Amino acid sequence: MSRSEARRKRWRGEKIAPYLFVAPFIVLFLVFGAYPLVKSVILSFYITNGPSDPVFVGAENYRFLLTDPNFWKAVRNTAVYAFWSLALQIPLGLGLAILLNSSWVRGRNFLRLAFFSPNLVGQVFVGVLFSVLFVPQYGLVNKALHATIGTPLDTRWLAEPHLVMPALVMTSLWMYVGFQMVYFLAGLQSVDKELYEAARIDGANNWQQFLNVTLPSIRHVLVFVVLVSTIGSFQLFELPWVMLGRGPGPDSAGLTIIMYLYLNGYVAGDLGYASAVGWTLALGLLVISLIQLRMSGVWGGRRAG
Amino acid sequence: MLGLGLASGAYLALRQPKKQQADLRLWTFAKPHGEAYMEALPAFQRKHPEVSVDIQIVAWEAVTSRLQAAFWSGLDVPDLVEVEISEAGSFFRGRLESIGFLDLTERIHQTGLWERVVRARFAPYTTRGRIFGVPHDVHPVMLAYRRDLIEKLRIDVDKIQTWDDFVEVGRRVTEPGKRFMMELPTAEASRLEAMLFQRDGGYFDPQGRCIIDNETAVQTMMAYVPMVAGRYRIGSDLGGGQIFTRALEDGYFLFMIAPDWRTKLIEQDVPKVGGRMALMPVPAVQPGGRRTTTWGGTMIGITRKSPNPDLAWELIMHLYFNKEDLAKRFRDTNILPPARDLWDHPAYDEPRPFWSTQPLGRLYANLAPDVPFQYTSPFISLAKAKMSEALIACVQYYNRYGDRGFEGFVRRQLKVSAEEVRRVMRRNPYVTE
Amino acid sequence: MILQALRLVGWLLLVLIAIVTFVPMIWLLAASLKAPEDLFSYTFFSPNPSMKNFYDLFTQVEFLRYVMNSVFVACTAVVLQLFFSSLAGYALAKYEFKGKYVLTLFMLSTMLIPGQVTLAPAYELIYRFGWVDTYWALLVPSAVNVFGIFLFRQAIMSVPTELIHSARVDGCSEFQIYWQIVMPTVRPMVGAFVLIAFMGQWNSFLWPQIILHSSERFTLPIALTQMVGIYQQQYGMLMAGTLLSVLPVMVLFLFLQREFVAGLTSGAVKG
Repeated sequence: MSRSEARRKRWRGEKIAPYLFVAPFIVLFLVFGAYPLVKSVILSFYITNGPSDPVFVGAENYRFLLTDPNFWKAVRNTAVYAFWSLALQIPLGLGLAILLNSSWVRGRNFLRLAFFSPNLVGQVFVGVLFSVLFVPQYGLVNKALHATIGTPLDTRWLAEPHLVMPALVMTSLWMYVGFQMVYFLAGLQSVDKELYEAARIDGANNWQQFLNVTLPSIRHVLVFVVLVSTIGSFQLFELPWVMLGRGPGPDSAGLTIIMYLYLNGYVAGDLGYASAVGWTLALGLLVISLIQLRMSGVWGGRRAG
Repeated sequence: MLGLGLASGAYLALRQPKKQQADLRLWTFAKPHGEAYMEALPAFQRKHPEVSVDIQIVAWEAVTSRLQAAFWSGLDVPDLVEVEISEAGSFFRGRLESIGFLDLTERIHQTGLWERVVRARFAPYTTRGRIFGVPHDVHPVMLAYRRDLIEKLRIDVDKIQTWDDFVEVGRRVTEPGKRFMMELPTAEASRLEAMLFQRDGGYFDPQGRCIIDNETAVQTMMAYVPMVAGRYRIGSDLGGGQIFTRALEDGYFLFMIAPDWRTKLIEQDVPKVGGRMALMPVPAVQPGGRRTTTWGGTMIGITRKSPNPDLAWELIMHLYFNKEDLAKRFRDTNILPPARDLWDHPAYDEPRPFWSTQPLGRLYANLAPDVPFQYTSPFISLAKAKMSEALIACVQYYNRYGDRGFEGFVRRQLKVSAEEVRRVMRRNPYVTE
Repeated sequence: MILQALRLVGWLLLVLIAIVTFVPMIWLLAASLKAPEDLFSYTFFSPNPSMKNFYDLFTQVEFLRYVMNSVFVACTAVVLQLFFSSLAGYALAKYEFKGKYVLTLFMLSTMLIPGQVTLAPAYELIYRFGWVDTYWALLVPSAVNVFGIFLFRQAIMSVPTELIHSARVDGCSEFQIYWQIVMPTVRPMVGAFVLIAFMGQWNSFLWPQIILHSSERFTLPIALTQMVGIYQQQYGMLMAGTLLSVLPVMVLFLFLQREFVAGLTSGAVKG
């Protein structure tokens, strides 16, 4: 093999290699990503009996969906869950991160590990564990709350419709606060120390430093975390499903959008309707994400600060 | 990681489960059933030495969503499956010819089962006039109670003839948070349902129309809710499993609704109260009215794909209608078999020490012919969910406003629930009358 | 003085929250080690510990089988995902080729669509392939992980291009460059990705729940939720099962935590 021939071969290799390297992705994506995506649009105009017997119904699935009180209940539950999860987790996660980021904290690595560890446990396992912790009369949560703030020992967290959501939010707080914290911590560590120096020279107190230096510097982390958490919250399924004994719970108080999709698609067997639910969720999430980005000024609007 | 993957892969490859070669495979979700059938099997195999039978206890999902999906996907399914009474309807959603179970109507008539079995029990497994399952049980209901505590409280159960009597006594002895007259859930409709059936109400009429807003349903709701809500409530619940065990031991409940199957669970799960429990008939709605109702149930069906339907039928006859076996099984499970002619065996008259030496079998058998009908529909799960929702709404209303405007609220609420069921039913393109 | 007191309060607060965080896990451990009938008799550890729950777990249930299933599925999936994702990530980071820009945009946009949208047709597809109730359905569609591709793209961008060029001059094939030059330099990202992918598979529920039918193929999340229905009288055994299901991820995390945190947050912080 002559030298030039070898070089040409090399050159060709360099041309072809990237296509070969991305080929598995493209093939798999076309089959398991693009095709189902297109197919789910089509399917959403049919009623089916499992994967068979499709009956074309036009936009009936969407019409029914938008007028189904159960769907709106699922939307409301999911939104309430998402709101409270964010409202509790973000400040607490940020607070923990700021504390942990202080130079005087001892055992920082251990604490970080401790806060993050629940994140490793899958929702299913958390669900099994917490369904026992929330038991009335004999469960740990009730015992602890009874001893500290005097709530009744027989509080039926998972059997009273108005307590289901608080129980879910508490559980998710336990699970995910460490996740937010890790991001905030990374964000805080990348803040330029000189900015604080400058602020201090200008006579800013701690609170002003937080408002004027910390928050703007970690703004993109904040946006990212809010976005990821919102999307995650809207896909909630396993936790309530397992905690509430593999169902939507009393008065469907734990019915989420994905659970609604699962129940209609795989328990009742209408894959067409399930597709319609999926697309409605996808569009909803897209709108929410865009609003959040818009509000945060990262996309399209004026840049804040 | 790669190493672990290979190692576990090798383990799985080596421990491939023996290919299921049994001629007849049966799935049941109920552990006591499965255990009993395994005991009854040798007798069947003496008759059919060449036939191998495999009985599996599978989780609830396996016979609900999984079996359904297996029917759709043409996957390997067992020959025989036991299905729970409230799930059976879900299998009837598609066209008659695409239902995964075999139509057993002719066999049931030809073999005389139609005459022998308490007829009310076919209804939940029937759609569009065709029967797809053989009933496993009758499940008459009595009230189980802590005899020792009742005596200490000087309650005379013979004087409790109607629900009104029961509530009156209940209000006297209930101390919320500490002791309740009865275990009654506020967020789940299984006991409300039992009371609805007692009054000849139900979810659907024989034609499959939703009737959860008829007068009977309204009256039942109005009787049930004040028992679990408001200042004078006499019932509450904590949960199932080990929590129930503790609650009964602690005397948190005095009475509970007990179909025959549940008496065995109580014996097993709460052995500490042995000898201190007893049974009484359910209080009537009106003096002289029906003293029982029903809760729960199971059917067995033959799958359409089964290569041996005749053999499968024979196994059903053996497991469900063999007098000696069933008498023995009754001792193990306390479940009364569905055919009336089986109940004259002495096993049903035996006094039970756990139940203060009452003859448990005879008590239930006396009530069994009076068990009410319940009709099903592909939308049974939805109707049940809506009934639970209505119950919860009514409980909330009653807790807040008491009797004021309650009747009107119940009527409106049930109407709304029923309309939602009907709305979904109108969407089904497969069931046409 | 005041400052120090404040710091002490802050630190105590942190420790308190850490303890609260650990309590459920400690309770889980305690519950597993109690005799079954003692579960609700003692709040935490019982004075007479028992291994009965673990014994029951392996004798009454085929728990070992479920563990092995999960290990197999998770490990195989991780290996596949690691290989294909890093390969594609490398191509996107270090090659110029036609359609690269479009492809990148395309991948990004797929990340915005939640996976549940395609659940129904994906199930239908698996059904047509005859893959219902097989591990193919779990492994193949997930073999490429878009998130992973971006993680690796990000990491590989920082590998000096000269390194790759000189390897090419030395006569390495394109694949050798990837395997011998690029991958070793992004080792930390490999660690992070392994943990993320492992967690994803190990804890995955909805898809396997729809796909798997035979109990001998169940992975741990599926097996455990089914056990909850059958063994209502044996919460202790369920807790032992939960404990054992959670442990492997915990152990892996302890090994990989440094890389993990760095890898997880790199995308967000660089933004």
